[in-house]
Amino acid sequence: MGRFFLRRFGQAAIAIFGVTTLVFFIQRLTGDPTLLLVPETATKADIEAMRHTLGLDRPMIVQYATFLWDLLRFDLGRSFIQNVAVTTIIAARLPYTLALAGGALFVAFVIGVPVGVLLAMRRGKASSGGLMGVVLAAQSMPTFWSGILLIMVFAVWLGWLPPSGPGGFSHLIMPSVALGLLSMATFARITRTSILDELSKDYVRSARARGVSTRRLVLRHLVRNASIPVVSIAALEISHLLAGAVIVETVFAWPGLGLLTIQSIVSRDFLVVQAIVLLGAFVTIGLNFLADILYSVIDPRIRLDGGPS
Amino acid sequence: MKALRQLAWVTIAATMAFGTAHAKDQFVIDLVNEPATLDPHVQWNPDSYYVYRNIFDNIVTRDNAGAIAPQIATSWKRLSDTQIEFTIRGDVKFHDGQPLNAEDVAYSIRRITDPAFGSPQLGQFNKIVKAEATGPNTVTLTTDGVYPALLAQLVKLSVVPKHVVEKVGRDAFNLHPVGSGPYKFETWQRGVQVTLSRNDAYWGDKGPFKTAVFRAVPDAATRVADLETGTSDLVVTLNSDLAAEIKRSGRAQVLSVLTERVAYFGMNSFKAPLNDVRIRRAMAYAIDKEGIVEGILSGYPKVVGELASPAHFGWADGIEPYPYDLTKAKALVAEVGTVAKTPMEFATSPVYDQRVIQAIQQMLNDAGLNVQIKMTDMATYLKGQQSSVPESANTLSYGRWSCACQDADGIMFPLLHSSSNWSRVRDARLDQLLAAARSEPDEVKRKALYAEAHKIVKDEVSVLPLYQEAVIYGGAKQLKWAPTSNESLFLNRMGWNE
Repeated sequence: MGRFFLRRFGQAAIAIFGVTTLVFFIQRLTGDPTLLLVPETATKADIEAMRHTLGLDRPMIVQYATFLWDLLRFDLGRSFIQNVAVTTIIAARLPYTLALAGGALFVAFVIGVPVGVLLAMRRGKASSGGLMGVVLAAQSMPTFWSGILLIMVFAVWLGWLPPSGPGGFSHLIMPSVALGLLSMATFARITRTSILDELSKDYVRSARARGVSTRRLVLRHLVRNASIPVVSIAALEISHLLAGAVIVETVFAWPGLGLLTIQSIVSRDFLVVQAIVLLGAFVTIGLNFLADILYSVIDPRIRLDGGPS
Repeated sequence: MKALRQLAWVTIAATMAFGTAHAKDQFVIDLVNEPATLDPHVQWNPDSYYVYRNIFDNIVTRDNAGAIAPQIATSWKRLSDTQIEFTIRGDVKFHDGQPLNAEDVAYSIRRITDPAFGSPQLGQFNKIVKAEATGPNTVTLTTDGVYPALLAQLVKLSVVPKHVVEKVGRDAFNLHPVGSGPYKFETWQRGVQVTLSRNDAYWGDKGPFKTAVFRAVPDAATRVADLETGTSDLVVTLNSDLAAEIKRSGRAQVLSVLTERVAYFGMNSFKAPLNDVRIRRAMAYAIDKEGIVEGILSGYPKVVGELASPAHFGWADGIEPYPYDLTKAKALVAEVGTVAKTPMEFATSPVYDQRVIQAIQQMLNDAGLNVQIKMTDMATYLKGQQSSVPESANTLSYGRWSCACQDADGIMFPLLHSSSNWSRVRDARLDQLLAAARSEPDEVKRKALYAEAHKIVKDEVSVLPLYQEAVIYGGAKQLKWAPTSNESLFLNRMGWNE
């Protein structure tokens, strides 16, 4: 366990360093934020002065060294555009991202897994075909369209839910559904395939021969055994959801990290983009690590050290 | 217990009844993004100034008709060609209760013009070389040479309290701005909304709403849904399609006004085939400006024949736009010969209405030219627009220019004078006219200089003016508000019909 952890930690550190370095240079290759900051009447001298204030006139390597040094001291810098610490900006957005990701995951998991089980159990029947159609439709609908559709129906026509922005629980429903539908389809499909795999195994046949009820078979044995792929997908889906549901956040005016990422990239707010990418790298690597541990809990045959324990 | 519950119900019912009968308490505005900053001397974008112009007073302002009117300065007089003295109101108090005095005004000007402060707005005020309080309620400004556009620029200079800024510092002031305007800063829920409350001690017209909330709603269709459901009372930045949707729903009203923003088509005359004036003229004939305005933009903008609008000082009547004439355009292209077929890149960014961009491309290719669209993000587009070496600047471009000063100097000088890095024009006559107009104190003579410049621009097709842009807002039916050309959103100039 210890060796595994150490090795994983080393890999993670290299990955994070690589990601930050790449982002640092790629962003600076794509353009200069100064021109977006100054008004149209600015003269050449004004633009140069602004560039100097932002520190963008220094050699690239000096900027990079400063960036790494600040990073080691956990100083993510200040946003050019908003004139506040990057950590303040991200800390304000993070709770909204977590809430939306949580809501979407709830919708995806709570609907997706049972639907997947149902699809597997009723394979070949008409009802299964219909349900599969619904799942496919949910996955194929682009969120900018389903989001606007939800707003039209539930906010404008029916007046049941608030159309946009954060607030109470009711504000979270539509964005969670819009975002969760995509992952729901993924969960349903993976669960279905995985259960079908299990159904063809010997233990299922023996259990049936012993007269174990279908209900008990599914709940006690199949779901547990079929959940390994579901867990790996969950880790992947959560990192997707956290990395930002840009379109859903834009449509519902939800102030999460995805929206912040896009706004920061467009306005060349380098330091904010860097910080978000860094956060994303941490989350993805952390979740994968967590998934590895979960495997061993679900299936004791998987041992992290690779040897007998 | 039962009695208690009944009491609770009665209270709730009473509050609700009271709430609906009461005047509008909370006014909600949907912006596109949250303000970048609320320190008025720092950021320069609409989402910021829509908010902070309600928190701060400016030295002078524009009335609803667009004329320069007193605000913090009650009057002004020229002491010499380069000096002007402002008399400051004596009855203005900042939101912390401290009086606003001449030193605050002088300090505000020194702050924004200090290169070390690094204000992005420096370019608008860099002609001011000195600002000092010369008495308890007089401030004298000194400009670098005669500068007739000074008052037009000062419309945007907000007065900040010296004692607060010096005490709390730049960062804290940005997070908790203190001004003297009709609304006070309350809270900033980052990423979500900014809340202001009415300044009941305001010296001028007080706001009609107790509180105002500015939300960030990036998707225009969502802003319209907010308006139709009553979640918002005013939404900004709509296109003509969404305006039609609002009209169709009958749940809200469309508010629109022609602005001082001018859409223009830029041509780099340092590159072939644009170095031939006949090609530029062919383009002027080939682009169907009326067609674009009527067909794509539902008639909201207005076609102009000069690089200014009637909202600008320096607008000259009688400069007609080139008429749409495809035959003439084709003839001019044929006259030039094979060079006319040189491929040209039309630079643009997603910020602009791509329907217009594609229509222009199509019209130019119909005339026998070879135009391709080059789409990049805004920062890259701007980099191509600004270059001290015109040969390396964008070949063709579409832009929408506003100096927020309603003075021809603010649009013509940067786009046409050879010293500006926005300009892809090198014309000694224009240089001379624009420099002379910039420092001509006599209004009649100044107007004549601009009229002369407009004629040259039209004849040479130095740039091709397209139309005066319109701004479209959506408002609740009860809202009484006449939007103005300078795209400001002053809450205390609004009203509410119950």
